[in-house]
Amino acid sequence: MQLHLQNITKEFGHVVALDDVSFSASAPEFICLLGPSGCGKTTLLRLIAGLSTPDKGQLLLGDEDLTRIPARQRGFGIVFQAYSLFPNMTVAQNIGYGLKIRGKPAAEIKERVGQLLDLIRLPHLADRYPYQLSGGQQQRVALARAVAVDPKLLLLDEPLSALDAKVRNELRAEIRELQQRLGILTIMVTHDQEEALLLADRVVCMKDGRIAQVGTPSELYATPANRFVADFMGVSNLMEQSVVRQWAGHLLNGHAPPADYIACIRPEDIALRPGATGARVREVHFLGNLSRIRLEWPGGMLVAEEAGRTSLVPGAEVGIEIAPHRCAWVAPQ
Amino acid sequence: MSATAAPARREFDTDKLFLGFCLIVPLAALAIFFAYPLLTVVMRSLTESDGGIGLGNYVRILHAPSFWRATFNSLVMSLSTTAAVLICGLVVAYAVHRCRVPGRALLIGAVSLPLLAPSLVQGLGLIFLLGRNGIITKTTGLDINIYGFWGLLIANGLYALPQAVLIIGAALRAADARIYEAAEILGTSGFRKFIDITVPNIKFGLLSAGFIVFTVTITDFGNAATIGGDYAILATEIYNQVVGQMNFNMGAVVGILLLLPTVLSFYLERVASQRQFGSVSDSAVPLVPVFTPKRDVPMAFAAWLVALLPIVTVAIVVFGSFVWLWPYRFDLTLRHYAVKVAGGYDPLWTTVQISVVAGVIGSFMLFALGFSLQRLPRHVVKPIYFICLLPAAVPGLVLGLAYIFAFNVPSLPVYALYGTATLLAICNVTHYWTQGFLTTMTGLRQVPPTLEETASCLGAGLPRLVRDVIVPSMAPTLVSVFFFMFMRSMVTLSAVIFLVTASVSVASVSIMRLDEAGFTSQAAAYATCTMGIVVAASALMRVSLWVLSRKK
Repeated sequence: MQLHLQNITKEFGHVVALDDVSFSASAPEFICLLGPSGCGKTTLLRLIAGLSTPDKGQLLLGDEDLTRIPARQRGFGIVFQAYSLFPNMTVAQNIGYGLKIRGKPAAEIKERVGQLLDLIRLPHLADRYPYQLSGGQQQRVALARAVAVDPKLLLLDEPLSALDAKVRNELRAEIRELQQRLGILTIMVTHDQEEALLLADRVVCMKDGRIAQVGTPSELYATPANRFVADFMGVSNLMEQSVVRQWAGHLLNGHAPPADYIACIRPEDIALRPGATGARVREVHFLGNLSRIRLEWPGGMLVAEEAGRTSLVPGAEVGIEIAPHRCAWVAPQ
Repeated sequence: MSATAAPARREFDTDKLFLGFCLIVPLAALAIFFAYPLLTVVMRSLTESDGGIGLGNYVRILHAPSFWRATFNSLVMSLSTTAAVLICGLVVAYAVHRCRVPGRALLIGAVSLPLLAPSLVQGLGLIFLLGRNGIITKTTGLDINIYGFWGLLIANGLYALPQAVLIIGAALRAADARIYEAAEILGTSGFRKFIDITVPNIKFGLLSAGFIVFTVTITDFGNAATIGGDYAILATEIYNQVVGQMNFNMGAVVGILLLLPTVLSFYLERVASQRQFGSVSDSAVPLVPVFTPKRDVPMAFAAWLVALLPIVTVAIVVFGSFVWLWPYRFDLTLRHYAVKVAGGYDPLWTTVQISVVAGVIGSFMLFALGFSLQRLPRHVVKPIYFICLLPAAVPGLVLGLAYIFAFNVPSLPVYALYGTATLLAICNVTHYWTQGFLTTMTGLRQVPPTLEETASCLGAGLPRLVRDVIVPSMAPTLVSVFFFMFMRSMVTLSAVIFLVTASVSVASVSIMRLDEAGFTSQAAAYATCTMGIVVAASALMRVSLWVLSRKK
């Protein structure tokens, strides 16, 4: 099953929420729509769900044109950030609701709900009401409800944002596991790049209603297409070509990037050589699994990272080394 | 696992049909039972005695000194009541929401009493206290004439006070404790905080309350009928033109002229209300007042003094209904409950039926309309929304008069409704449409959109969405709207006074007739029975809301 978005445009008044967006995805891919708030990612998800219609462009699932089909006939599974369980229904009734609408016999609904409750490991909560569940439990039920009808597409709108960090990590893994087990094409909206890196087969990075880059998480991280993606996907050192030429000329050996392209070097790719010279430690931040070190360097400030604790202290002189193949050249915009 | 197809595509049409039905039925009802009757009032006001069309009636009215006196009185009365109620309302609301005073819930309950009573009860209570045979008049021997300006002022004030307390209270509740804490740290005195923070924050709430009180007072008829005496106001002027002189067209003219200040006042109220309540931050920290003796002791005293007035007026009516012969023989008796005149208790039971029907029709219609409005584009919603605000600006007497013009026409099919309890119920729904509409819209807005969207994605059509998601989510609002319509219909007088007949009448009219005929104690007994039913309904509403709130 292939999903094609072709030249999707959507305006709200004078604001262009989506500007000529196109991409394709096919089962069993896990796609993350990633970007800062206001980039259009949620608008795009709602268009895919059928909760609104595009002003221009087409939405195809396989050979079928879905552009003007309302949400209720698309029958996709959806999970929102706010748990959105029906407060007047029990857990089991929530999960079975889509099947009930489709007129399935009670016995079949019961069996399917039982399977799903096992799958989300909450069989003991079947008769509880949503207000009796924790946030994480509610979101699992919402997930089970979404996949109960075997949707062709599973849509997740920041499903983890309302949860605290520990539950979020657990549920992240569970979502991925469930998605792979069901082999269902999944599209998730998130503003959390770590989440996108962890879950997605491919990331659609968006900015101002346009797609900035589509690629696997490692492609986006290692070879961002432009400054925005480089900046958004984790921490990076961005250097103008003139600076590189003057202070780290070897990075240009064998490369001939366009004149306005800039160098993107990830902090972990800067190797620090204590005892040597070239840069001075300005600040050291200990973040648990790594230490982030801010350096004064003739070409400007640099950020480097070392695993675990570091012996460096502010004021210390260090040498820096950057391997040329670790430097990505990105478009300025 | 077999793939489960979404429901068949043709069902899309049922959604459109359902939505159209939900929109068109209430709109058609508004056209027939609101717009059309009001148009007839306009037409009749322009119809001259020779049958021609012109402004002759207006010219005549504007040259009549009696009209100018009534207008002047109405304005003086409404402005004085507004000023008095704003002060008293601010005292009570401030005591309840910003001070630590004893019995806060009781205070609110006390000032809300008049809402549960027919509007004549304030007048009756004052007569029992200060009338010619009033207990205070008799014991002190003073020559008090409560009929007229002062009596009417107190009665109107009591009637409008609960609404003012409600609105000012809501404005006071919207406070953010952090602002007060910041001021505290800067060394601001309590009085300065009140002037610099509280007053600017609630000024639109005060304005909104002021316009509501003005509208309620200038359109009130019940109080004026019982205790107004010779103090002629516009509402009684309409009644006298129509009932006293059978001059319907002149009644229409006065009605139209009464519409001008009410519509203006109501419009200003909406503007003020939006300014006050449009921008309350979700992250505000609620303000919890700390006991401050030099503020709270005088405030408690003042607030309870204000609250004592409605308690005493209502209590004295109930008490008076059981007394053998007020104020001479205080033996308790039930003899006043044996009401013989004016159809006995039949009108009371008719009123209960009318009120149930009004509650059912009202909550259904308003829900259907609100539900469909949420699914329509903005430019369609705006004019409909505006039309739904209009009924609140139409005085009850004008609406009642409009119904005579519109439905007492034997040649029209709608004549079948004339003189029926159904028409009375419909009239009440129209009369209280706006408040019900605003409540319904608020309730609908509180249903999380994602809940509806989830159901849509799961394949639910609109009828199913209403049944499974929206109605269960906003059941408390529907219950409130039903009981609001019910309770208002139980006690209203102004709109229905023109529509009752010998066989189909309502409780408040019976109370008025008994009072007019001099059977004050029987009027009190009748009012007590009416209040009993309304109090029971109010209790039932609270129980229902409590039951509904347990599953949240």
